[in-house]
Amino acid sequence: MFRLGYLARKLAILALTLLAVATFNFILFRVLPGNPIQLQARAGNLSPEAIQRLREIYGLDQPLISQYLIYLRDVFTGQFGTSITFQRPVADILAERMLNTLILLAAATVFVVVLGIGLGIVAAARRGSRLDNSVVVGALVFWSLPTFWTGLILIFVFGVFLHALPVSGTSTPGSSFTSPVASLVDLARHLVLPTITLALVDIGQFVLITRSSLVDVLTEDYILTAKAKGLSRRQVVWRHGVRNALLPVVTTTALYVGLTIGGAIQVETVFSWPGMGRLMYDAVLRRDYPILEATFFIFALVVIAANLVSDLLYQVLDPRVRET
Amino acid sequence: MREQAVLRSGRRQLASLVAGWMLLVAACTPASSPSPSAAGSAAPAGTPGASAPVSAPPTAAPTPSQATLKLGWSSEPDTLNPLTTYSTEAEEVLQLVYDKLLGYGLDLKPEPELASSFAYSSDGKSITFHLQPNAKWSDGQAVTSDDVKYTYEEIHKDSLGQYAQWLTDLLGVDTPDAATAVINFSKPQAFNPGLTIPILPKHIWSSMSAKAIGTFTNDTPVGSGPFTLTAWKKGETVTLDRSSSFWGTPAIAAKVVYVLYANEDVEAQGLKNGDVDILTEVPPTVWDGLNGADNVTAASMPSFSFHHIGINVSTAAGSKGNPLLKDKTIRQALSDALDRNQLVQLALAGHGKPGNSIIPAGLTDWHWEPTADQLMDANPDKAKALLDAAGYTDRNGDGVRESSTGKPLEFRLIAIQSTSVDVRAAQLFRDAATAVGIKLDLTTLDENTLGSTVYNKDPNWDIFVWGWDSGVPDPDYMLGVPLCSQIGGNNDVFYCDKGYDALYSQQATTVDPVARKAITDQMQQQYYQDAAYLVMWYQDKLQAYRTDTWTGWTQVPGGMVFNFTRDNYLRVAPLK
Repeated sequence: MFRLGYLARKLAILALTLLAVATFNFILFRVLPGNPIQLQARAGNLSPEAIQRLREIYGLDQPLISQYLIYLRDVFTGQFGTSITFQRPVADILAERMLNTLILLAAATVFVVVLGIGLGIVAAARRGSRLDNSVVVGALVFWSLPTFWTGLILIFVFGVFLHALPVSGTSTPGSSFTSPVASLVDLARHLVLPTITLALVDIGQFVLITRSSLVDVLTEDYILTAKAKGLSRRQVVWRHGVRNALLPVVTTTALYVGLTIGGAIQVETVFSWPGMGRLMYDAVLRRDYPILEATFFIFALVVIAANLVSDLLYQVLDPRVRET
Repeated sequence: MREQAVLRSGRRQLASLVAGWMLLVAACTPASSPSPSAAGSAAPAGTPGASAPVSAPPTAAPTPSQATLKLGWSSEPDTLNPLTTYSTEAEEVLQLVYDKLLGYGLDLKPEPELASSFAYSSDGKSITFHLQPNAKWSDGQAVTSDDVKYTYEEIHKDSLGQYAQWLTDLLGVDTPDAATAVINFSKPQAFNPGLTIPILPKHIWSSMSAKAIGTFTNDTPVGSGPFTLTAWKKGETVTLDRSSSFWGTPAIAAKVVYVLYANEDVEAQGLKNGDVDILTEVPPTVWDGLNGADNVTAASMPSFSFHHIGINVSTAAGSKGNPLLKDKTIRQALSDALDRNQLVQLALAGHGKPGNSIIPAGLTDWHWEPTADQLMDANPDKAKALLDAAGYTDRNGDGVRESSTGKPLEFRLIAIQSTSVDVRAAQLFRDAATAVGIKLDLTTLDENTLGSTVYNKDPNWDIFVWGWDSGVPDPDYMLGVPLCSQIGGNNDVFYCDKGYDALYSQQATTVDPVARKAITDQMQQQYYQDAAYLVMWYQDKLQAYRTDTWTGWTQVPGGMVFNFTRDNYLRVAPLK
């Protein structure tokens, strides 16, 4: 498998990267023009005394270096301070939003990864067939669809014309559920359209990457050898082909999970899904530094962690890239 | 309030009310009321010192239903703490949860809330409020004058939130008995703060310091209003239930649910589908699409908001604005060149009226309208003549006029990228200016960046496009923006005139509405003619509701909901 030394080195690099990211985030948002207290103060016609109290509450009266140290402490204790917009602990807000994002993306990721890889394998195994052509064309078409547009079309078809499915939020407004099951069913109904939208648009890349990677592998000499040994087609494709073809697929999956945790902004907007993407977008407009710093940090953390996992998976999957 | 500021989507403006004031002054001041004409219109309380109901209570109590009223909105509250919120959405929810001493009816005239009646002292410096006898907090405790005293004095003492501006002259609150609060000021109060400040329960709030209040989230507000908050699913819905302990006629709706939509087209579909019953704010293009839809009424009402062009007239040494703009002639020429009707038609798709004064026309009783001679609008010839006479001519034949020292009349113009009506208006303004020989260079920015550019100690900009709506139902708010003392505060063009400031102080303490109107007219005229603000339009308030779910919506200037009156919430009834 892999050595502890390798793991330790990877973890050390990860920690350093995170510190760099945290620092960069802190600087980035403070060099942006705009000031979070400013618009609030204008809006409310506040007295200078009240503005000063706001600055103290959010620590904006401190010198930059103290702000930085407080920020680092908050980040590494997982507290992330208090949101300037919502005036509540950022950790609480993140917990709510993250849960919604995870529900949506878990559903979509399962579809995308399982179906995408499956279709890619089928297409590669029957390279040149009519099935292969349709899968490739289909994948290209869906991959080219704008997410926003696809979501709206689904809303018009299933929400407006067929009245079959709810088109916004995570639950039916104003409803009270008699059992947890009823509430889960309601959530599931709300999940359908956003999940399908995400799956339709994102599945293409997995199909195409899996297919092309497997097509390459299937032309290797050892595949010919396997066939010559008289192995069944299934054994050739799965045991000798797929395992070798998985490396780029693992990378893509890791990147996909990393990127999606930042929230699927477009799908969240179309379906009014209260997830991380919309939180981040609103926070940029409002210059809500604590939320921005927290979301960008978590985003970075997940991308880095996903890459670490994919590195480790390489070690498992492919003896050729094993390091010591 | 700053219109369309990031957190403020807009409403709650200046509601008018000379008429309201007449009634109020007549009813509530002694017979020695400063203006006979004001007192003459309504007679109920001629006796000195007598108090009287403000207006008739709601008619015949309808039966409460079990139905849920659902509203679609596109932004949610920031916090439910009335002393720290900056969002219109929170104010809307909180006005159903908390009572003020006085409210506004569907005619936008004062009506009782926590105070069943009130009376002004003869000098206008103190107001006596008599509280509703059976008012209770939602936790069962009685509402007393101590709550009023605590709320007013705490807001004043620690300068809390946006309400503090109405209590700068507060001396204190006397509580002769549990049902009577006497609010004393050092000066007469033209605006009655009882109309805007929510009364908070002392037993919940008094243990907190100013700083603790600053971070208090008030997740389970205890109020005395017609509804109580039962759930806030962040990013999705806010749910209110009809309060069982409300002192007044209970609402017909059993629940009020606000549904957050992140997309305006989907929001409109939600209304068409019947997922929600009314939309609080509808953009013009979406409104046009809803107009004529089955079982939907698209409503267009006057609003109390305007969009304007602001010109940097700062005289500060650090100002990097083009000094030519300090010449009133150039500003007036720009105003003359601007065709406001064209702006309304092309930028607003017709959903508004051409503007002039900073008090919107929707505020009919306070708005000042320029005479034909005073009007600056759609008159490029006059603009050219003004510039020619002042010696601004095109000396080098490049189409742009120059000053006598050869400085070109070329200015930077900034607008908010995401506010498409402003961007379109800015383009039309640029073309209008070009036609009279003034060059404008248009740049678009995001709102927060524009805000920090404009509100800068050393302003480095020339002209911007933005909007306002006032946070309170009184002309005081908007007229207070151009004060010298508001430089560094709300004053976004750095206008400063001692004469204007003196008039402002005078109107704020003139209780008689007729005398006050004479002063506010003079202020509006001066500010219009000084042309630091070129008001472009007063946009309409666009909302839409279903006709097959709830009935009884009253269209009100400023909006059926998201207005200072909460009465539509109390009066609408389910159809099934």
